[in-house]
Amino acid sequence: MSKEAHLKRKLILLLVFGLFVTACGGTAATTTAPATATTAGEAPATTAGGGTETTAAGAGGMEDLIAAAQAEGTLTTIALPRDWCNYGGVIDTFTEKYGLAYNGLAPDAGSADELEAIRANQGSTGPQAPDVVDIGLGFAEPAKEEGLLQPYMVSTWDSIPEDAKDPEGFWYGDYYGVLAFEVNADVVENVPQDWADLLNPEYNGAIALAGDPRVSAQAIAAVTAAGLANGGSLDDVEPGLEFFAQLAEAGNLVPVIAESGTVASGETPITIRWTYNALANRDANADIANIEVVVPASGRYAGVYVQGISAYAPQPNAAKLWMEFLYSDEGQNLWLDGYCHPIRYEDLVANNAVPQEKLDRLPDVEGAVFPTLEQIEAASEAITTQWDSVVGVNVGG
Amino acid sequence: MTVTAAPTAIETPAAVVTPAKAGTGSKVMAWLILLAGIAYFLTPLIATGERAFRAIGGTFSFEAFRRVVSDPEFLRTFGESAINAVLTIFVSLLVIVPTAYWVTLRVPKLRSVIEFITLLPFVIPAVVLVFGLIRMYSRPPLAILSTYGSTRVMLICAYAALSFPYMYRSVDNGLRAINVRTLTEAAQSLGAKWPTIIRRVIFPNLRVALLSGALLTFAIVIGELTIALYMGQHTFGPYMSNLVRNFVAEPAALTVLSFAMTWAAMGIISFLARRQPSSKPKKAV
Amino acid sequence: MTSISEVGGNRPPPRTWNWVGIVPFLLFSTAFLLGPAAILLVRSFQANEGGWTLLNYRQLTDPQVLEAYGLSVRISLVTAIVGGVFGFLMAWAVIYGGLPRPFRSLLTTFSGVASNFAGVPLAAAFIFTLGRIGLITALFGFFGVELYQSGFSLYNFWGLSVVYMFFQFPLMVLTITPALEGLKKEWKEASENLGASSWQYWRHVALPVLLPSILGTIILLFGNAFGAHATAYALTGGTLRLATILIGAQISGDVLQNQGLGYAVAMGMVVIMGISIGIYTILQRRAERWLG
Repeated sequence: MSKEAHLKRKLILLLVFGLFVTACGGTAATTTAPATATTAGEAPATTAGGGTETTAAGAGGMEDLIAAAQAEGTLTTIALPRDWCNYGGVIDTFTEKYGLAYNGLAPDAGSADELEAIRANQGSTGPQAPDVVDIGLGFAEPAKEEGLLQPYMVSTWDSIPEDAKDPEGFWYGDYYGVLAFEVNADVVENVPQDWADLLNPEYNGAIALAGDPRVSAQAIAAVTAAGLANGGSLDDVEPGLEFFAQLAEAGNLVPVIAESGTVASGETPITIRWTYNALANRDANADIANIEVVVPASGRYAGVYVQGISAYAPQPNAAKLWMEFLYSDEGQNLWLDGYCHPIRYEDLVANNAVPQEKLDRLPDVEGAVFPTLEQIEAASEAITTQWDSVVGVNVGG
Repeated sequence: MTVTAAPTAIETPAAVVTPAKAGTGSKVMAWLILLAGIAYFLTPLIATGERAFRAIGGTFSFEAFRRVVSDPEFLRTFGESAINAVLTIFVSLLVIVPTAYWVTLRVPKLRSVIEFITLLPFVIPAVVLVFGLIRMYSRPPLAILSTYGSTRVMLICAYAALSFPYMYRSVDNGLRAINVRTLTEAAQSLGAKWPTIIRRVIFPNLRVALLSGALLTFAIVIGELTIALYMGQHTFGPYMSNLVRNFVAEPAALTVLSFAMTWAAMGIISFLARRQPSSKPKKAV
Repeated sequence: MTSISEVGGNRPPPRTWNWVGIVPFLLFSTAFLLGPAAILLVRSFQANEGGWTLLNYRQLTDPQVLEAYGLSVRISLVTAIVGGVFGFLMAWAVIYGGLPRPFRSLLTTFSGVASNFAGVPLAAAFIFTLGRIGLITALFGFFGVELYQSGFSLYNFWGLSVVYMFFQFPLMVLTITPALEGLKKEWKEASENLGASSWQYWRHVALPVLLPSILGTIILLFGNAFGAHATAYALTGGTLRLATILIGAQISGDVLQNQGLGYAVAMGMVVIMGISIGIYTILQRRAERWLG
């Protein structure tokens, strides 16, 4: 070929060399994953903690599990924001207790993206492959059916309520919260106490959902909950849609996504979020705004999230140890610190494993209803398809 | 290229301005445009700044800024992104400049195909791209995404691809402004070979275009979020998005700071680009 | 080694090895762009439950989807053209407008930063400015004008267009600058010697010469707005149903949707982009012909 091609080739080689040097020298500053992490990824197949062991007992007991996990060295998670259910505290305690490094991917990822990450990373041992996922209940069965999860039953398996786990151990509920109003009391004088209050004209332009009802589980739950308070049920979400249509028409509902920041700044002074998110925000922004969290008097809707271990987890033992920790009394209590009701709540209370002051910090969620998988799917279907036509906020232009 | 300069009415203006200066009418218009532009651009930034200074405690304070700056991750991630950006610029230049040159000179028929490919990054969603990359390079025989470092190289190559629309368009505009064909012929008649032509004739004349492309690329890499997120890279984008989720004042302060720092970086790049002694942007060789 | 006679001019038949020169580009694009994106094509034919289907493509004719495409194309056109015009004017102003020298590099570097100032920070900045409790809104209120009562809203098509301009103007400025710079001083001098006014120079000399570059940059702006997602989402919370937001809703998110449809819509965007390039190429050829 021509000289130009030769020069190009030389330049490219130079560049590749330069990139290579960067690659070798560029070990992450924050994830201190030891070099053995990648080789240890293949090891579990031969140790007791391999993919076929579904209980800690089967894996040779907790001690062996800890050893195997430490040999792997790192845990990679996805979609775990530090301020969600006090995951920050959970992570810190876990890493300190067992000496593992922690690699947290995409804290804001949605459940669909979490599963896509598992799918795309099949066979990968790199730091971008997640070991565990925390997904919405509606994704649990599809994930299992697609073979994205591997089964594992923690030692406290029996104290997890039956309807919150997969009998074969592929997925298991982790915590729940109830939908509440998060209100910036500096901006809003009369804090609404129930769904009907929201229609009050004094809240004109003040209410925003914490997500797009066509994609966000939290927003869909809000619609269903509104329906519960207006004559609907978990199987019939029409009243919920109509309620929001009324809100939109009255101008109370604005087409903006509310976030912790927008509530605290007063841009969207009223929103509807899970109790744990609302309460965490209240604490985090206490020096900026006076935020009140009110669980509505009627229409109390509880939402469950679900844990699972990736079928292709590069560090399966670390993943299992993580699960053991999450479902231990200690882990469950840490979630409680984040205002989440851990799934073993009843069991913990029965055994007096929860300090009284923690119990007192929790809002009263008496009478909250838990939808089943089928009800969630049906509600999602109805709301995502009908939102535009029934509520259809006018966007102009 | 012939110049069609036939005024329809021949006027002899009372004051024939010397060619180098702009007429007062032009100047006034220029100032108006500039002021309008400044008003448009600065207002949102001022509003953000106002939030940053005011938000904590309701009085004027540097608290939000202090909180951001005292986080060591702030500078570290910015630095990592900046390095990524510089490397991306090099890769992008290396791929695009010879290609644009070749298309202009030798295969103009393939121009639309090339332009279509360079515009594809706009219509491929970032999540699709990142998972596609992970998918392609996680399994043998192409299993190269096994460490943070190798993933970082992949990231840079992906960013270079993302910069194609901007880099190509800048370089193409630059090539149109210089008479590539004539320059090449002249250089060849003087006995220059291709590498010399590209290095000493084309590149110097494309300096402005390359600067534009480089600045645009730098901006893209600094703020990129989705790909870095799912590749587990600890760069500036993920850092910013994490902060923005939760707080009120810090994001505003962060926006102002990152804007200022990126602007400074742009200034440095721009300064370095103009400093070359052999550069005379508007003159052809 | 090629000789002068082979460069330029109409040589019958051209050597068919010329395309080899763009092989590096093709390889790179395949490795890091086309390859990963191939999944887009594959999955657009897949149904949620598994198996192959054409249903996703048939759904592209749903009014919802068509409206999304229409909205995306409209906002892209509006912001590309307005952005192109004002961006061009700004670039002209600092290069030829007789302004003090420092403004030139100030605008260049500022444009660099602003060109990618998008997504949540940009939306937040405009909410701080023109939101319900924004700075300008409050300013208007101070003078007795209640913006939001009188029907104005940042959270609609026009509001989003105004926000988009923040990165469209700079993109135009930066990309058209090389072309503006390349205008030969001799032409201006020649036209002035012939008695042409500044305006006539621009209208008959400069603009026709610049037209191919302007068109090319406008298509860049179009693509830029067409593929934008984060800003629109951050500003309107997904209520403004652009094609990109529709895709995001189907592919990502917390609710199980029809991913195949998302991919099909994305393929549709690729097609629209291709058509735009086709139109642009035709316009481009016309413009080049004017240059004699």
